[in-house]
Amino acid sequence: MTDLRELQHLFRDAVFEETSDGPALQAFSKLINDSAGLSAAGHLRIYRGAILGTLTRALGNIYPVCKRLLGDQFFDGMARIHARNTPSQSADLANYGGEFGDFIASFEPAATLPYLADVARLEWHWHRAFHAADEAAMDLAALNNVPLADTGRIAFRLPASARLLDSNFPVQKIWQVNQDDWQGDQDVNLDEGDASLIIWRKQYGMRIDELDSQESQLLGAIDNGALFNELSQPDMGLELDTLLPRCYQQGWIAGFTLDA
Amino acid sequence: MSRFSQATIAGAGIGLRSTHYQDILNDKAAVPWFEVLSENYFGDGGLPLHYLEQVRSDYPVTLHGVGMSLGSTDPLDFSYLARLKQLAEQIEPAWISDHLAWISAGNRYVHDLLPLPYTEEALNHFAERLLQVQDFLGCRLLIENPSSYLSYRKTDMTEWEFLQELVDKTDCDILFDVNNVYVSGTNHGFDPIEYLHALPVGRVKEIHLAGYQKHDNYLFDTHGFRVHPPVWELYRATIEHLGPVPTLIEWDNDIPPFEKLVDEAGMAQKVLDEIA
Repeated sequence: MTDLRELQHLFRDAVFEETSDGPALQAFSKLINDSAGLSAAGHLRIYRGAILGTLTRALGNIYPVCKRLLGDQFFDGMARIHARNTPSQSADLANYGGEFGDFIASFEPAATLPYLADVARLEWHWHRAFHAADEAAMDLAALNNVPLADTGRIAFRLPASARLLDSNFPVQKIWQVNQDDWQGDQDVNLDEGDASLIIWRKQYGMRIDELDSQESQLLGAIDNGALFNELSQPDMGLELDTLLPRCYQQGWIAGFTLDA
Repeated sequence: MSRFSQATIAGAGIGLRSTHYQDILNDKAAVPWFEVLSENYFGDGGLPLHYLEQVRSDYPVTLHGVGMSLGSTDPLDFSYLARLKQLAEQIEPAWISDHLAWISAGNRYVHDLLPLPYTEEALNHFAERLLQVQDFLGCRLLIENPSSYLSYRKTDMTEWEFLQELVDKTDCDILFDVNNVYVSGTNHGFDPIEYLHALPVGRVKEIHLAGYQKHDNYLFDTHGFRVHPPVWELYRATIEHLGPVPTLIEWDNDIPPFEKLVDEAGMAQKVLDEIA
């Protein structure tokens, strides 16, 4: 088995190595034929171009707003660096690209757009929400039937599609004015302030909802696994009587279980 | 051996793409069958699965994937296979296909179909994994010949000999991609007709047609163009040799309006009708 394994690992290394004519390419070239028009290395470079191109296009499809903010050339160059350095570890290409936001945050040439990493995180959550499981509405009757003595053990849960995002920038506004169908003013005042968002899917409708501080605190605590008895502690300062019904109605809380 | 749908796949079908859902469902498109790209429906829910359910309730479908990585020396990915099996149980394809290729090394996926060296070692490895997968999925698979842009110095046999041996060892069927064989034949200097005549007649259950792109020194399989004239010619020879095998039009880049695909499928249907 070793011949085949070695060949495949060398092929992979030759595709992703940083220099265009590095040691893996040279070693791999010895294993393949040249042809009338192309050197052995030229044959490998066809695959290198195709593979990095596929990953770069995949990132462009998941992150269209980032691409628009940076321009095609800058984005593709940045995405290509990410594609070379960050392996895809799933056969399903839809699982690739989740680390792009963190990569952008540390990518020096993009530092002039300090909000870009959060825009990317928003786009990733959108991408995942699109493919996430469908949800039925919250079963309020079942909730009402929980015996009083057990209410402390209620563990609420967010919709399977939902992800929360806190940003120091008005990323929802930035996202919105960079949609193809946006008709209004494209200027965004970055001092407009923080955003607390929930990105999720209501049936087949994609949603980015803004949360006020109470909603954000509640949903954040639920997302971290807090039970009802923790949520209802006075020092949490949550006005649950109005807050919970509002969250059920919006669909931001999709269900519950009783913690053992 | 098949546990999935008994739906009849015949004539010239089209690869299902998300941009065409409305054309297909609103106009009840007169297309005999659709091929579904498996991994596009691996999500847990949402619109893609919603549309797929509607399409498969009106048309016979097949499942075509790129993710099995049967030629890879990485362990088989049983979570991938379990998801595929679940999807197959849900939409009941007439059959499932994947490629004579590998797509990962050291758990790094390239999302491109890489060629194997056609050696005894690779044959035994591929056959053993294919048997495991067929056993797991409970059906015979169709294996497709890839387009390739390089060839290895160390080989023991041709690609068509490799496929013949694979059929003998695993009882699999073949998905013959006429465009791929033309592309690879041009790139590596073999005669596609020799390849065609070596195929085990009766084992080729599906044919693919697509458009390649011409570069200076090679042909590249983009699935982004109409089927080129020499591929139509080879297709005609294929149908004359193999009989009216169900044929699929594939288009993945710069996807055109649905009518253009219907038109392309109509051309394939014409060849099937003339020769039948």
